[in-house]
Amino acid sequence: MSNVPETAVDSGPGGPHGESVIEVADLVVRYGAATALQGVSFSVGPGEAVALVGPNGAGKSTLVNALSGIVRPASGTIRIRGRLAHVPEGRQLFGELSVEDNLLIGAWGRSDRDPAPVYAVLPELRGLARRKAAALSGGQQQMVAIGRALMARPDVIAVDELSLGLAPKVVTGLAAHLRALNAERGTAVLLIEQNARLAFDLCSRAYVLEAGRMVVSGACEELARSNEVARAYLGGGTGEEP
Amino acid sequence: MTQFLMFLVNGIAIGCGFALVGSGLVAVYRITGVVNFAQGMFAVVAALSATSFVALGIWHGVAELMAVLVGGFAGLATGVVAVGRRGTQPLTALLVTLAVGFLAYAIEVLVWGDQPRSLPGLDGRAALLGVPVQRQYLLVIAVTAVVFVLLWLFFARTYLGKALTACASNPYAARVVGIDVTRMAFIAFALGGVLGGVAGVLVAPLRPISFDSDVSLIVGGFAAAIFGGLTRPMMALAGGVLLGITEVMIRAYGDASYGTVGALVFLIAIMIWQSARRPTLHKEAV
Amino acid sequence: MSISARHGARQARRGPAEPHAAYARPRTGLPSPVLGGIAATALATLLLPLVLDRGGLALYIDIALSACVVVGISLLMGFAGQVSLGQAVFFAIGGYTAAVLVLNDVPPLVGLLAAPVAAGLVALLLGVPLLRLHGHHLAFATIAVHLIFLVVVQQSDTLGGNVGLMGIPGFSVGGIDLADHRSIAFVSWGVLAVVVLVSHNVITSRPGRALRALATSETAAESAGIPVGRYKLTVFALSAAFAGLAGSVWAYYVGFLSPGMFPVSMSITFVVMAAVGGMGSIWGALFGTTAVKLIVSYLGMLGTAGGMPDYAPAVLSYAVYGLLLILILLFLPHGVVPALRDRIVRRWSAPPRTPLDTAGRDPGKAGLPPANGRP
Repeated sequence: MSNVPETAVDSGPGGPHGESVIEVADLVVRYGAATALQGVSFSVGPGEAVALVGPNGAGKSTLVNALSGIVRPASGTIRIRGRLAHVPEGRQLFGELSVEDNLLIGAWGRSDRDPAPVYAVLPELRGLARRKAAALSGGQQQMVAIGRALMARPDVIAVDELSLGLAPKVVTGLAAHLRALNAERGTAVLLIEQNARLAFDLCSRAYVLEAGRMVVSGACEELARSNEVARAYLGGGTGEEP
Repeated sequence: MTQFLMFLVNGIAIGCGFALVGSGLVAVYRITGVVNFAQGMFAVVAALSATSFVALGIWHGVAELMAVLVGGFAGLATGVVAVGRRGTQPLTALLVTLAVGFLAYAIEVLVWGDQPRSLPGLDGRAALLGVPVQRQYLLVIAVTAVVFVLLWLFFARTYLGKALTACASNPYAARVVGIDVTRMAFIAFALGGVLGGVAGVLVAPLRPISFDSDVSLIVGGFAAAIFGGLTRPMMALAGGVLLGITEVMIRAYGDASYGTVGALVFLIAIMIWQSARRPTLHKEAV
Repeated sequence: MSISARHGARQARRGPAEPHAAYARPRTGLPSPVLGGIAATALATLLLPLVLDRGGLALYIDIALSACVVVGISLLMGFAGQVSLGQAVFFAIGGYTAAVLVLNDVPPLVGLLAAPVAAGLVALLLGVPLLRLHGHHLAFATIAVHLIFLVVVQQSDTLGGNVGLMGIPGFSVGGIDLADHRSIAFVSWGVLAVVVLVSHNVITSRPGRALRALATSETAAESAGIPVGRYKLTVFALSAAFAGLAGSVWAYYVGFLSPGMFPVSMSITFVVMAAVGGMGSIWGALFGTTAVKLIVSYLGMLGTAGGMPDYAPAVLSYAVYGLLLILILLFLPHGVVPALRDRIVRRWSAPPRTPLDTAGRDPGKAGLPPANGRP
C-alpha cells in the first residue's frame, strides 16, 4: 500500500527530513470493512504551514481524527513531537458554555489556564468572552474554536475545514490570524481544506488526498501550476462550498 | 387553612425527595445519555446503610454522611458496569442499570433482609407562620435547597463542573480537547449516587424503606426529571415539588389510595405532551 | 469510502436496542443436523409431561407460559424496537379476565379465548397514546402503567382488591376435566404452539419484513412508506394477547390471583429472558425462557436446602437475573441464540464471514464526529 505516487519534490522550511512535529507513515484506518485511509504518509516540519486538500470524503477528517487520537488506526505510525491541537470540522464548540469557558476547557489537563495569550492573538474574542458560544455567528465560532485549540499551547494546530460555510470575507480574516500565528509565533499549521485556493495561498507545502491515498504532494506554488491539480481543485474554486 | 398549609409543606418535602432522585438522573443523563434506572437503588442503599450505621452507635449526621458516600460508591460501581465498556448504547445501558438494580436487590436482601427498615429523623414539630410542621419535613426542604444551590455552583462555577457540562454539550469536542469522556461519565454516575444517597437518608425517616422501594423512588424521580427534559436540574426540582404537592393533595382531599396514580398519570401525560411537541427529537434521541 | 462507513456507523448508533444486522443479510438455511436437533427437542418436549413428577410439571408449565409472554416481548423489542417493562400487566389482565368469567359460570374455554382478546384490546387502547413514546420514555411509561394497574386492581371489588380472587375453577373443555398438572402442562404447550405459529407467520409475512426495517430505523421505515404507527400498535396488541392467553391458563392452574403476584420485577424478568435468548427471534425467546427458568429453579432448590436462610432463594434468583442480564447485554448483546446460529451457519455454509458482516455488527468502534454535533 506504500506505492504512493510522489510527484513533486518536497521543500519548505524544516522539510520532511528535519525534526518534524508530525510524522505519519503508512497510516491505515478502517471503519469496519470500509478503509478510510490506505497507507498514508506525510510530515509537517516545525513552524511549517502545510495544507491537506482533497475532495469531500477523501479521508481528510479521518486523518485529523487519527492525529488527535479520536480514531484508532489499524496500522501505521503517527509520531507527534510536542503538542497537537485540533480545530474540528464544523467548529464543535460547547454551545451551552460561554466563550471564555470554551477557552478554559481547551486547556484541559494543563495547570496554566490563563486565556490572556489567546486574547492577544485573537483580540476579537475578548469582547465575546461572556457570550454563549451557541449564540455566535459562524465566523465568531470558528475563531473561538481556534482560540480553544490555542489554549493547549500547541506546537502544531490542525484546522479542519476552516472555510466551510463561511463568507469569503470572514475566511480572509481568519486566514490572516492563522498566518500571523504561523509567522510570528512559529506555530506549525496543518490546514485541511476542500478549498484548495485558500490552502495554497496560506501554506507553503501541500498534500492531495483522494479516496484514502496521498496522490500528489509538493510545494503549493508548483501544485498550483500543475495542470492536473488546477483542473481538479482550482477550476471553479471561489471559496464557497455547496 | 392551617391544615392546607400543613399538607403543602408535607407535599413539598415529599417532592424534594423526588427532585433529589431526579437531579441524580439528570446529572447522569446529561453527560452519558443514559437513563439510570439504578438511581432509586442508590437512595435505598444509602437509607439502609444509614440505619445500620445508626444501629452501630454512630452519631446522627455522621451516619447519614457516611451513607451518602456509600450511595456515591454504588453510583460509581453502576457507572463502571453500565458505560465502562466502549460502544454500549444508551438504551442497552438503561437495561444494564436495570440489571444492576436486580443484583443490588440480592445484596440488599443479604445484608439487610427483606423487611422494611426506618431511620429515626428529627422528632417533633416546629411552628412555621403559626402552622405546626414536622421538623423532619423542614430538614428535608432545607437540605434539598442547599444541595440544589451547591449543584448549581458546581456546574456553573467549578472547572470540573464546566468540563462535565462540556461533555454533555458536545462529547466529540470534549474528546478533541483531550477530556476522557468515559471517566467523566463515571464522575457523573458517582454524583448521581451521592444525590440519590442524600434523597435516601432524607426520605427514610418519612417512610420505611425496603429493598424494593427503589421502583417508586425511580419512577417519582423520573417524573420529576422529565419535567425538564431530563437535562435541567432546576426544572427537576420544580417538577418534583409539583409532583409531591399533587400526590399529598390527592391523598388529603381525594382518595388516599390514588395518591401515586396522580403522579404516574402526570408522568405519562408530560411525556406524551413533550413528544407531541418535539416528535423528531424523541425519535433521534432513542 | 469514508462516506459509506460514516453512514453505516450513524445508522448503527441510532438503531434501537440492538436490531440484528445479522438478519439484514439473506438468511442461509439451517443445516440439517440442526433441524434434526430441533425436531428431537420438540418431540422430547411433548413427551416430557408423561414422565415428570409434580415439581417438574410445575416448572414445565411455568416455562411454557412464560415463553408465551417472552415471545411477544421478543417480537416487540426485536422487530418493533420498543421496550415494554409492563408486560406482566397483560399476563395479569388475561388471568383476571378468565377468572372473573369462570367465577360467573362462563365455561373455562370461553374464558381462555376471551383473555387474549381483553389483553389485546387494552393494549390497543394504551398503545395509541403510549407508542408515541420511544426508548426510555416508553420504558418508564410502561412501568407507570404497571403501577397504575396494580392500584386499580387493589381498589376493585370485582377483582378481589388486595386479597385477590380465590377458588378459580380448574380448566375443562365440554365437561372433560383438564385441571390436573399433566393436562395443564399439555394445554400450556398447546397455547405456546399457537403463539409460536402466529409469531412465525407474522415474522415471515410482508408486514413482518417491514417490521424489521422498523426496528432498524423508524425514520427510514416511515420514509419508505411503511405505516409505522399501525404496525407498532399491531405488534404491541399481539404481544399483549400472547401474555393474556398465558395468563388465563396460569389463573386456571394456580386457582387464585392477587395483585401481589404481579410485581414490576416480574415484567423485568420477562425482558431478561428475551434478552438472554435474543430479541426478535422465536427460538431465542424459547431458549432464553427455558435457560433462565431452569437456572433460577435449580438455584431455588439449593436455596431451600437445609441450613439456608429463608430469604436465600430470593437472593439467588435476583442475583441470577441481574448477573445474566448484565453479562448478556455487555458480551452477547444479540442474545445467545442469534450468536450461536451465526456461528453454526458460518461453519456450515461456505463463504466465511464477509468483512461487511463485521461492519454491520461492530460499528461502535469508529469514533466519528456526531451526526448532529451541536455547534
